[in-house]
Amino acid sequence: MTRRPSLPTLALLLLAGGCTPPGKPTPAGPSRPDEVTDFRTLYATNCAGCHGADGNLGPGPPPNDGLFLRIVADAELLKVITDGRPGTPMPAFDHGKGGPLTTRQVKIIAEGLKPTWGKPDPSGDPPGYALAPGGDAGRGMAVFARACAGCHGDRGQGGGSVDGRPVGAVNGPAFLALSSDQVLRRYIITGRPDLGMPDYAGTAGRPADFEPLDARDVADLTALLASWRTAPAGK
Amino acid sequence: MRRIVRAVGGWFDSRLKVRESVMPMLEHPIPAGAAGPKGWWYVFGSASITLLLVQIATGIGLALVYVPSTDQAYASLEYLNYRQPLGWFLRSVHYWSGSGMVVMVAVHMTQVFLHGAYKYPRELTWLFGVFLLLLTLGMAFTGQVLRWDADAYWGVGVGAAMAGRVPVIGPAIVELLIGGQTIGAATLSRFFALHVFVLPGLLLALVGGHLWLVLSKGISEPPEPGQPVDPKTYDAKYHELLKTGKPFLGDAMSKDALFSSLVVIAVVVIAALAGPKGPHGLPDPVLTGANPRPDWPFLWLFGLLSLCPPGLETFVMLVFPGLLVVGLLLVPFISNHGERAPSRRPVAVMAVTVAATTLAVLSYAGATAPWSPVMEAWSKDPVPVEMVRRSGPLELQGAAVFQNKDCRNCHALDGVGGRRGPDLTDVGTRLTHNQLIDQVSNGTPGGGNMPAYGKKVNPAEMEALAAFLGSLRPPGQPPARVAAP
Ligand code: HEC
Ligand code: HEC
Ligand code: HEC
Repeated sequence: MTRRPSLPTLALLLLAGGCTPPGKPTPAGPSRPDEVTDFRTLYATNCAGCHGADGNLGPGPPPNDGLFLRIVADAELLKVITDGRPGTPMPAFDHGKGGPLTTRQVKIIAEGLKPTWGKPDPSGDPPGYALAPGGDAGRGMAVFARACAGCHGDRGQGGGSVDGRPVGAVNGPAFLALSSDQVLRRYIITGRPDLGMPDYAGTAGRPADFEPLDARDVADLTALLASWRTAPAGK
Repeated sequence: MRRIVRAVGGWFDSRLKVRESVMPMLEHPIPAGAAGPKGWWYVFGSASITLLLVQIATGIGLALVYVPSTDQAYASLEYLNYRQPLGWFLRSVHYWSGSGMVVMVAVHMTQVFLHGAYKYPRELTWLFGVFLLLLTLGMAFTGQVLRWDADAYWGVGVGAAMAGRVPVIGPAIVELLIGGQTIGAATLSRFFALHVFVLPGLLLALVGGHLWLVLSKGISEPPEPGQPVDPKTYDAKYHELLKTGKPFLGDAMSKDALFSSLVVIAVVVIAALAGPKGPHGLPDPVLTGANPRPDWPFLWLFGLLSLCPPGLETFVMLVFPGLLVVGLLLVPFISNHGERAPSRRPVAVMAVTVAATTLAVLSYAGATAPWSPVMEAWSKDPVPVEMVRRSGPLELQGAAVFQNKDCRNCHALDGVGGRRGPDLTDVGTRLTHNQLIDQVSNGTPGGGNMPAYGKKVNPAEMEALAAFLGSLRPPGQPPARVAAP
């Protein structure tokens, strides 16, 4: 009787030897989400939903904004991503606060924002980012008339237009209830360049002799918007 | 050398009496028709058993490495996949041979049904067969759970939901099945015990009974039109037929052996080409971005679930599969006599066609159904830029709330996002402000597809949401208005 290796034996030998059949899995497959450490990937999976694919043109305040990144402190970035902003749609991301990311990942994102989108442009003298207490809403009304009313209406009810699109109200209690004072102050300073709202020094929609807003103007405007949260303008 | 083997063999045989008891079984006569070309119809049962043997062999191999504990099961499968030489192949063969077994059992049953072989006097053989089918499916289900990945976790969840709908004793069954109130360590232990001891034990016992019945009642002759089964005369006729019968050990046996070998070779080739299934993603709700699917033998059921309106879920989840099983069990009692040939049984042929088509369509629905939410959409999928551009401050907040409350996980905007619920790109043209608020507060009436957000959304969030959704209209399209009564 001649002995030839049977077909299955042959196949097994092939499998055991160097040849790799297509079915053999490779460990590259599913990686654990908490092992991702690349800023771009982390941003795209966790932040793009609200802050836009490239850090702007999302519903949330754009992190891709040179002025914002210039005035905001590193500690504040880390804090807001770790803890979120309670009462607003900005959630906490740290595991310890019930979020989906590890402390290390939060740090990678916080530290990646400025290198990615920051601009080396120290021109002008913008007001600081941190909230300043003691704003005067009454005086804010006068600043508003000068700096905002052209687009947002004399009482913030909306009505102006930018590029032919109507500009919305900023005096609505629901809008204000979901916005922190901090983000309102930020918008007053940085505007929303991606949507056509000018920053503290911009002149779009403003009188020809417009002077850049100073720290006091910004504090007073913030106080004014905050006051509309509970007592809507004009009522 | 040969002499020694014979002597040893003889020593054992004179005590075990294998030749005396087994040889007659192998040589028992079968109808001549079943030994001819038509004998190819009879190979599916033995192929099922062959695959069962493959399952036992590979299953033992897997059990040597697999750790049935929630924190190590997944890792032990990864060890098999990546580190143990040929471990992946063992897993692959076990999966594909198991799938093959489900196929063979189904084909075997179909053949028996079409040929009316379940009729007198083989009703009991059929009943055993139905339970063998259920046990095979049980093995497939419990086996999928042992993978302990997102698919498994979710499969148990749906299984438990199904069992929980049984009136009165439902909760008790669930507790017995998953070993407590929640899916966890005890669940895996239970399914391991089921998959490795309980179900295989039952399966082997029933296979024994099934084979015994096949031997004692004889293999049915190939059906001939115009030769109906009459329980009064059948036994005598069959006895007569066997006088010209052929021994099983011969032509029939070679056909079985050949076909089984082909099936095993096919399984091995597919296993090498397609590889093992999963494990897909850890079963941790926070970590999965996965889109869990049950293994293919159950896809039809999930297809059915995803298509059915919420009010019918209890019926679909519980009553319908129950009716199917009862229907199968009743088959030999509804018609245990009469014509056997498929050409004279249009209803039977129709039933098979309808059942096969339905299963195929439902499986397709199950495979493609956007069944589960996309877990990461809320933070990953940007709100479409066009929507952001035309939003005012309140709508922008609404969009952020929409993302924040996970709405996006079920609802796409501009085609991107979850598909569990409808795409909301144009929802402002369909629903008025109040209808929107009503939908979000109350979800799907009666629970089910869309959760009620009434208690999870504060008034400001609700107002912003409704403003955002109401603004979702193609440019120039007016908002929805209340339909005239
Ligand atoms: C569900 C929507 C949502 C997601 C997801 C989200 N954010 Fe936010 N984020 C917001 C909103 C809304 C605000 C404004 C909060 C406020 O009112 O202060 C905000 C504020 C911020 C701020 C402060 C901006 C400022 O002007 O003060 C930073 C920084 C920030 N988010 C970063 C991130 C990063 C990084 C991620 C991803 C890890 C992320 N956000 C994910 C909605 C979101
Ligand atoms: C050139 C017109 C223009 C001027 C001037 C202007 N804004 Fe805006 N503002 C916009 C536009 C455009 C948006 C984007 C939303 C929209 O289209 O309604 C916006 C948005 C906002 C938002 C909401 C941002 C968000 O993303 O939620 C706030 C708050 C705001 N403006 C406050 C102010 C204040 C306070 C001033 C005065 C310092 C001001 N704006 C001046 C055009 C303007
Ligand atoms: C678990 C998945 C799921 C989540 C999460 C979810 N929905 Fe739904 N939603 C559905 C389904 C499914 C429907 C289809 C209608 C039904 O079954 O009631 C639906 C219907 C709707 C509709 C009606 C659409 C139409 O065209 O009639 C709106 C509006 C809606 N959802 C808004 C939301 C909002 C806002 C959220 C977040 C607060 C949300 N949904 C969260 C599943 C979901």
